[in-house]
Amino acid sequence: MLVAKLIDTTLCIGCKACEVACQEWNDQEYTLGTFDGSYQTMPDLAPNFWNLIKFNEVERDGGLSWLMSKYQCMHCADAGCLAACPAPGAIVQLANGTVDFVHDNCIGCGYCITGCPFDVPKLSATSKKVYKCTLCSDRTAVGLEPSCIKTCPTNCLTFGERDEMIRVADIRTRELKADGFKDAGVYNPQGVGGTNVIYVLNDASKPEQYGLPKDPVIPWTVQLWKGPLKMLGTVVFLGTILGAFFHFVIYGPQREESPDEVE
Amino acid sequence: MKSSEVRVERFDAYERVMHWMAALSFVYATLTGLALWTPVLYWLAAPFGGGFVIRGTHPWSGVLFSATIGWMFLRWAKTMGLDADDRAWLAKMDKYATHQHDTLPESGKFNAGQKMLFWSQVATAVLLFVSGIVLWFPESMPRSLRLASIALHPLAAIGSIAGILVHIYMGIASVPRSMRAMLQGWVTPNWARLHHPKWYREWRDSTNIR
Repeated sequence: MLVAKLIDTTLCIGCKACEVACQEWNDQEYTLGTFDGSYQTMPDLAPNFWNLIKFNEVERDGGLSWLMSKYQCMHCADAGCLAACPAPGAIVQLANGTVDFVHDNCIGCGYCITGCPFDVPKLSATSKKVYKCTLCSDRTAVGLEPSCIKTCPTNCLTFGERDEMIRVADIRTRELKADGFKDAGVYNPQGVGGTNVIYVLNDASKPEQYGLPKDPVIPWTVQLWKGPLKMLGTVVFLGTILGAFFHFVIYGPQREESPDEVE
Repeated sequence: MKSSEVRVERFDAYERVMHWMAALSFVYATLTGLALWTPVLYWLAAPFGGGFVIRGTHPWSGVLFSATIGWMFLRWAKTMGLDADDRAWLAKMDKYATHQHDTLPESGKFNAGQKMLFWSQVATAVLLFVSGIVLWFPESMPRSLRLASIALHPLAAIGSIAGILVHIYMGIASVPRSMRAMLQGWVTPNWARLHHPKWYREWRDSTNIR
């Protein structure tokens, strides 16, 4: 059974309780971020900070609008990090859709950072390994909801069976449209096969306003490397080795120098 | 004067050290690189300390390899230029592969095949070095460069490894006594005349051994 987080951005009040819950549950120290004149805790995710409320400032109808969005791992069905990872078992996809990092197997190459269309994984300078949201796999495994969901005071965050979350998101979208948000919609990008973190946006025509890429996909060079280049390499290496061997079998070595006659 | 009693210096100690530094770093970079290239070959990481260790050491072996290729370039680039005979030689490469050597134009210190290997290794080493630096520091490089390097690095490696596989085959099996030239540095006059006639005559004219 697939699970999903549903993030109804229209209900987020920017209280950051989810950020605190995430840090607490995952037992992470808060490292003071950069103050850049924004209410946002820090500019970007960090190896020890997996859940960031973005305070996106957007001009709308002649005024300023805060479009809150919860920025974290999207737990993609076709995960770019997983596609790019060269270390077997370092990134795993659970039956419930969670994309989780296994740090015993992580080699810290950072290919997942390049493969991720959402720029989520972060490399730790101290452990030299990569970290991101686990969808609280240690909670969901025993039937608990993720800590960010548990703590949300406005029901902006809900968690459950994926189909149910999509149904709720559709209902909520219809309500928003009825309220006059004609571009309201669900963000569940199909380029990565859909995600297990789903957003309701009051303007789904421009997800960039919320800091979300419009059409995320697994980069084609990653797919080239994982697919055709592996075939090409196998053919070239085996062909060269077998070719050399059979060249020797057919033609033998080049002739020897004549031992001793003098010019 | 017997040919077997005369030593013609083919590679001096600098060139031999240079070649074997390139060879050792290449083998290390290749084996660890293949481990990271496909999960099927990930077991190759184990004898070198495992995936986490080779993630740290593979780039350094690449730096060493690139540096020795740079050294080779400085030392051999002039010698490796292709002349008219070399171009004619390349057009008849099938004759070389089928051991019909008498029909080929004469070679100098390096034959045209060796020259092509040299230039292809220089080219792939540049690609491997540049893309390797980008992949080494994922958090300091623009994503577009990283995306290009993820495909370019293995592509250049495939070309480079294929060339070296042929090179190793020539050295240990196909061309008798060539290994001694790179390990001990010398060949006999008859070997030189057989494989590199133009170079042989240069040697003969510069010495009074007959």
